[in-house]
Amino acid sequence: MSEQKLQSQTVQTTGHAWDGDLQEYNNPLPVWWVYTFYATVIFSIIYWVIYPSWPIGKDWIGGLSKITYVNSAGETRTHSWNTRALLLKDLNQAAAEQKPYFDKVSSMSYEQIAKDPEMNGFILSAGKALFADNCAPCHQAGGQGVVAFFPNLTDDDWLYGGSFDKIHETLMGGRRGYMPAFSDVLAGEQIDQLANYVAKLSGIGHDATKAAAGDVLFHSETAACYYCHSSDARGRKDIGAPNLTDNIWLWANVPATDAAEGKVAAIRSVIANGLNKGVMPAWAGRLSPEQIKVLTVYVHELGGGQ
Amino acid sequence: MAVTTYSGAEQYNFDIVKKFAVMSLVWAVIGMLVGVYIASELAWPFLNFDSPYFSFGRFRPVHTTSVIFGFGGSALFATSYYVVQRTCQTRLISDGMASFTFWGWMAAIVLADFSYVLGYTQSREYAEMEWPIDILIELVWVTYLIVFVGTIMRRKQPHIYVANWFYLSFILATALLHTFNNLAMPIDLFSMKSYSLFSGTQDAMTQWWYGHNAVGFFLTAAFLGMMYYFVPKQAGRPIYSYRLSIVHFWALSFMYMWVGGHHLHWTALPDWTSSLAAAFSILLLMPSWGGMINGIMTLSGAWDKMRTDPVMRFMIVALSFYGMSTFEGPMMSLKEVNALSHYTDWTVGHVHSGALGWVAMISFGSLYHMMPKLWDTRIYSRRLVEWHFWLATIGIVLYIVAMWISGITQGLMWRAFDEFGNLQYSFAESVAAMMPFYAMRAIGGMFFLTGTVLMAFNMFMTIRQGKRESAALDAKLAAKMAHA
Repeated sequence: MSEQKLQSQTVQTTGHAWDGDLQEYNNPLPVWWVYTFYATVIFSIIYWVIYPSWPIGKDWIGGLSKITYVNSAGETRTHSWNTRALLLKDLNQAAAEQKPYFDKVSSMSYEQIAKDPEMNGFILSAGKALFADNCAPCHQAGGQGVVAFFPNLTDDDWLYGGSFDKIHETLMGGRRGYMPAFSDVLAGEQIDQLANYVAKLSGIGHDATKAAAGDVLFHSETAACYYCHSSDARGRKDIGAPNLTDNIWLWANVPATDAAEGKVAAIRSVIANGLNKGVMPAWAGRLSPEQIKVLTVYVHELGGGQ
Repeated sequence: MAVTTYSGAEQYNFDIVKKFAVMSLVWAVIGMLVGVYIASELAWPFLNFDSPYFSFGRFRPVHTTSVIFGFGGSALFATSYYVVQRTCQTRLISDGMASFTFWGWMAAIVLADFSYVLGYTQSREYAEMEWPIDILIELVWVTYLIVFVGTIMRRKQPHIYVANWFYLSFILATALLHTFNNLAMPIDLFSMKSYSLFSGTQDAMTQWWYGHNAVGFFLTAAFLGMMYYFVPKQAGRPIYSYRLSIVHFWALSFMYMWVGGHHLHWTALPDWTSSLAAAFSILLLMPSWGGMINGIMTLSGAWDKMRTDPVMRFMIVALSFYGMSTFEGPMMSLKEVNALSHYTDWTVGHVHSGALGWVAMISFGSLYHMMPKLWDTRIYSRRLVEWHFWLATIGIVLYIVAMWISGITQGLMWRAFDEFGNLQYSFAESVAAMMPFYAMRAIGGMFFLTGTVLMAFNMFMTIRQGKRESAALDAKLAAKMAHA
């Protein structure tokens, strides 16, 4: 470099001048620049020989690099380097690593899987990936859900039951939560009384007089709440009617406010407007039976499996 | 303005240069402010305020359009009109046409920014403007080409100075790119919405042929033109090698057109297309470096200016970042590296090492050289230039380092498998891991923006000082004339 620098002091300019003092030296191309350029040419040629590169008519040069993979029909194929074959090869590899575990999942019972430490590791790993891809958008990454939208899967409160079989049933067929709107059939005053009664059931601040009237309404044929939520208000898991006595809230956003008045208002809103949004999609057909089984155990182990 | 300066208000049309120079700083402040805002949105999402008008998706093209076309474009218009006149020793062929390019260009950017916020976009990166704005840009650009070529043809010098080759290739290539990438059919004559003539893979390929050549000709060749005039001027030394300038000019112009496909590695684009592009990207390394060598070697023998002249420092740091990002780019275009870097923040960091480090720094240096000359005065405060330099440099380093770490982290998290052959991380976990780096990036941006605001203030005071001095000179002259 320093030699070149000295050299540049003695080199002639091209003899042109622009805008007063703008001139150009006529230095030769730096040698290292030229040789590095040649090196990139050689590199490019090698790259073109290895990878698919130049088009020829409607075809192209495939390149020397080959990829062997198994296609969806189970046939082994070798093809010149391409992204799709590489993806299939990677998927083949991952599937081969997972196969022994998935085979065990199919053959073992839920209880056996849950007790086997090695299988537990696999469930945590595969279940987490499956859960993150399919379930987390609603139930959140940790399964904690969102009050007023999506149920919490980490507690031991279950709408439809928390046994392996019930969770499996929920995953396979999906669920649809429904409660009719009572604003058409009950007076505003009556809905208010019911809301205070429901608040009382969970030990939340309420108006005792209204709650007493609500108690009567709850068990009457006028409102008929007990049909679904049962006489003791502990709900019915066969139809997904929630327990109203445990101070756990899914639809009425009771935790959102500290004021007793606001909590009762949240309950009132659900009774008045009803619910037709508790939709969980069916996963049968979208996920494989083994994947659903993995998710069943994973969700069961999230906290509150029964 | 009753100002007659010796730098030739009659000989040259400097009025248009002044307008573009001022607007370039205005757009720099606006565009970088929006940039800092959207960077902050990524770190602190509440800044979206649950409003579509404030959302990242709509503000992002406002940022890119304002900085690339508003700031960068105006700086290019200003310097190209300045350089072509001075090196051809002739006035622009038409003041009217030049003025049209100014008002047309400003209108296009304002309309584009507002249309994005209202939700209109072609969804083509760096070409989001819908068809009516595209037509306006087309008219402005053809006018620009006519003014520039016409002025070169009227030159009083037999040879065309190297800076003008680069400017001309930028204007020609941009005209081509803009026209073909924006071929679209409006759904109705009175609707903003249009559909591209291309679909599927062809659409993606056309878009990245445009996208990468916008980088190549708009953000590289054009700013090399700027470099070829302002670096030797500021250094007071001849360009290092005329031969190198010819060789790297033609090599650069030839190679760039091939490399767009490297943006589409690991996509539905046929594999031969992207590996062909990758190899051309490697071939492009030395032609790109030719410009850096010519710029830096021009300074050899005057290295002391690095210590004493903050304007020179902007230019040399710009060339260094240019060299770094034109090395990083070809590396990222190799399939195996791209498998890690694609879709990650590494790409964002790479773009900004070019955009902040090269494009913005060389523009700042050139504007610091040119603006005092236009108003026939000195820079108002050299101390503020020093401050600007350090704020900008620290800002860039914070930005790039943050994006390197977060980009490589993302790439590694997305490809990590555990011992059971399952993905180790969910996408949401990789998002959560980005948080500290997004904050660091936003802070880097704030440094850079602060420097730009200092420059805008400094240039505002410089212009005011220039106007006062010439008014005082005029008064003196008038008094002398009255005595005589």
